[in-house]
Amino acid sequence: MLKGITSKIQGDRWIWLIVILLSLVSLLAVYSSTGTLAYRYHAGNTEYYLLKHFSLLALGLLIMYIAHLADYRIYSRVAQLLLLLSIPLLIVTLLLGSDINEAKRWITLPGINLSFQTSDLAKLALIMFTARYLTRHQDEVKNFKQGFLPIISIIALVCLLIAPADFSSAAVLFFTCLLILFIGRIRWTFLFGTVIAGAAVITLVILLAYSFPEVGRFKTWTTRIEEFSNKTDIPYQVQQSKIAIAEGGLFGKGPGNSTQRNFLPHPYSDFIFSIILEEYGLIGGILLIVLYLLFLLRCIRIVLKSPGTFGAFMAIGLSISLVIQAFINMGVAVNLLPVTGLTLPLVSMGGTSIWFTSLSIGIILSVSRKAEQEDETLPGELQHEALNTLIKPA
Amino acid sequence: MMKQGSSRTVAIKSLIIIISLVLIIRLFDLQILDKTYKRKASDIGRETIYPARGLIYDRNGQLLVSNEPVYDVLVTRSKVRNLDTSKLAALLKVPDSVIKKRFEVLKENKKAYFSPYKAAVLVSQISPDDITAFQEKRFLFPGFSIQSRSVRHYPFALAGHIMGDMGEVNEKELEKSGNRYVPGDYIGKSGLELKYEKLLRGKKGLEYYVRDKLGRNIGQFENGKFDTSAVEGKTLITGLDVDLQAYAEWLLQGKRASLVAIEPATGQILAMVSSPGYDPNLLIGRNRGSNYKHLLDDSINKPLINRPLTALYPPGSTFKPLMALVALQENLLNIHEGFPCHGGFYIASLHIGCHNHGPVHSLTKAIEISCNSYFCQVFARMISNQKYVDEDEALAVWDKYLKQMQMGVKTGIDLQNEYAGNIPTPEYYKKIYGNYRWRASTIISDAIGQGEILVTPLQLANVYAIIANRGTYYKPHLVVKDDNDTLGLGQYYVKHFTGIDSANFELIMNGLELAVEKGTAKLARVDSIVVCGKTGTAQNPFGEDHSIFAAFAPRIHPKIAIAVIIENAGFGGSWAAPVAGLAIEKYLKGHIPDNKKWLENYVQQKVIDYHDSK
Repeated sequence: MLKGITSKIQGDRWIWLIVILLSLVSLLAVYSSTGTLAYRYHAGNTEYYLLKHFSLLALGLLIMYIAHLADYRIYSRVAQLLLLLSIPLLIVTLLLGSDINEAKRWITLPGINLSFQTSDLAKLALIMFTARYLTRHQDEVKNFKQGFLPIISIIALVCLLIAPADFSSAAVLFFTCLLILFIGRIRWTFLFGTVIAGAAVITLVILLAYSFPEVGRFKTWTTRIEEFSNKTDIPYQVQQSKIAIAEGGLFGKGPGNSTQRNFLPHPYSDFIFSIILEEYGLIGGILLIVLYLLFLLRCIRIVLKSPGTFGAFMAIGLSISLVIQAFINMGVAVNLLPVTGLTLPLVSMGGTSIWFTSLSIGIILSVSRKAEQEDETLPGELQHEALNTLIKPA
Repeated sequence: MMKQGSSRTVAIKSLIIIISLVLIIRLFDLQILDKTYKRKASDIGRETIYPARGLIYDRNGQLLVSNEPVYDVLVTRSKVRNLDTSKLAALLKVPDSVIKKRFEVLKENKKAYFSPYKAAVLVSQISPDDITAFQEKRFLFPGFSIQSRSVRHYPFALAGHIMGDMGEVNEKELEKSGNRYVPGDYIGKSGLELKYEKLLRGKKGLEYYVRDKLGRNIGQFENGKFDTSAVEGKTLITGLDVDLQAYAEWLLQGKRASLVAIEPATGQILAMVSSPGYDPNLLIGRNRGSNYKHLLDDSINKPLINRPLTALYPPGSTFKPLMALVALQENLLNIHEGFPCHGGFYIASLHIGCHNHGPVHSLTKAIEISCNSYFCQVFARMISNQKYVDEDEALAVWDKYLKQMQMGVKTGIDLQNEYAGNIPTPEYYKKIYGNYRWRASTIISDAIGQGEILVTPLQLANVYAIIANRGTYYKPHLVVKDDNDTLGLGQYYVKHFTGIDSANFELIMNGLELAVEKGTAKLARVDSIVVCGKTGTAQNPFGEDHSIFAAFAPRIHPKIAIAVIIENAGFGGSWAAPVAGLAIEKYLKGHIPDNKKWLENYVQQKVIDYHDSK
């Protein structure tokens, strides 16, 4: 039966395997960490969140499956449309979006009553569009005015529209786009200059935030930066997170045995990595890091064999964005970085952002599928076998 | 196709691998090497050791504030079984309802520190006797524990406004302090207890122990390696003289009054009385709430008002020497010059009355007999002087000198809620009368300390300390140092200058000496000590005049500067002057001679009925 399923799916089997493994980790960690929520809102019906999360993940897999069946070249056109759609959407969100913790990130689709973060959509659109741009302007990438300036302006515009409500997402997106441009053979000097300009903008924002603390989310930003740089006053959630991590030790307390889930705010999203570390220990943590790393390496492999420049750029952009987000989330949990609120892709609970992640992976797989089809030398059968031996014992 | 780009992909691969390595190293550090966070986990028990709060002494080593042991009963709600509330209430000697209400408060609060798994204070400040009774029956009450604390005790039962009081931390203070306080902790709420909270509180200690699954202590955690011992709060030494304070409070009983005494050479407060006062011992222990309300509701005596810092009075004639100082400094006044006084001062249609007195041919005489006309004419000369561009500039100069003498500005004493008073500025009059719509005649009553001038008793004492020092001063303050003298009181050790020449101070001193020797303030005289002072009788809208006297003594090497204001008592020379004189004598000689007992009796027995006034 497994064989039946594996023959239906296409694209890099390793990526599929990693996605399945991450989903399993996600199910376990979310089930364990939503206990408090379940008792608070659903009279102790702990299966409620398990089933809800399971269906979200399943739907995500379906999205991924559908996305990977499409010919990746249509995404070039889709990128353009999505970007044109997401810029006004971002503006609308800024002006009218739902206000959660003074951050206007969410917009509700009229009719189907589904709310999602516009920045998730814009992120996907911008990365795809950057790939498209680099492909179509390959001859001008060394040129500042015709090659670099138009695309960096678009990137800066989108990031600035995201920044007021969600500064960390905007910064990650900006950095990711720079990396894509870097791979797209844009001159070092341009990128270096942009980094300096970006740093200047951030400094300016910080200065403004200190001068006008009552405006928007400035207060949140300054306290987070202060809390991070001030080693004596560690914020509550970071302290609880560190306790969770320290409690885990080498092998962890075992699945479902976390105690810190009762003390950590949002143990199922922002700090899910801490719960994983507490229950599965250092070993579990390293395995999770290795899974993300393997994912990125597989994606880079696709890139090297990619049939067209657009697919390569898009695949590398989407995968880097995902992995960087994962590493930032982990960095927050272990207090290497200030608290940001970025989730752990595919593992954290949360509906629409999981679907956007699934969509990204689906697109990567679509590129991969094409690469396999065109590269006859790829020993597809061999891969099937490797996969089967991995899955069989379970 | 990516061949050219592959060196760049390698760069990215390396970047990501380095990030992963950093993460893994961090994990290794946190999970295997670093034990800091392990001891915070739930199977490690923690016991807080409360430090003794700092003591407060007066200048002669008399203990003003000490600590007494009391006990809190804590409850861990998750462990409570079969609670008999009425039995518990009877043991702790509190009403049933108090315990029930406290349980509800704990239950409703969702904050983490009110978790049912954590011990929270149920009843606080139980006396040692009552706690013994509870201790014997404690086995009947699973989930309850006892924690020892201490409360403040004030052996002299005086100076409530200075000492201040302590109360349970509120949620705002909890959030502001980080994790320093937990609910049930006590914190300074007013007075020195508030101002020096950081020094007095000391540092809590923490002992870690390993718990078994039933929560029982099964020994130290890692041999007590992480335990910290409690650090006692700092002992504070104030400049107060408790004998003088007690004497002054006693003298002022039955009157609404203030007395502030300062040591001019240091700026240290010797005594600061706000009458009617209250016994600071009323505001400790479990009756704090009801006693506080009782004091607050006393609308006739208003004992909670700290008059020396917050009551504003026109200084009346005590202001005249300052008027003279400003004019002398601006070279507008010759001390041998006389001004006519025809039973008062007439300017335009205005008349400022003066009492009957002989000719005034010098500044000394004018101060001695407190001639209103003299100072009005000096003020008018200054405000309309050609030396200045206009009245605005003249008044601005006048205002500048007064502010340099700390009038109309906060003195910066180490207590909360000090008022600045009012010394009018050109802008102030512009607002009232309009631009160029006022002249010397409009504001002439400022010359004699009436008009728009308002000062606090502390400012008045301070300015007489400045006169005593011939123009220099240290900011007035209560706390001098802590036991190790490590206190950061730098600002109180800085000598300030008023910008008025010391020679000019000498010029007004003869007048101040004569005012006490044979002028308006004869009742303030002290045998064999030269007292320099000035009476004031301030008209006010609340009834009888305020009786005011400010002075310093001795004239050479002054040891004390003092201001006394008694509300609605009448003439300054009759009430405030003898109180100040007696306080000076008490402080400098240590006792009141027998031949003055009648005076002591006369002022101490005076009771003013404030029923009618506001």
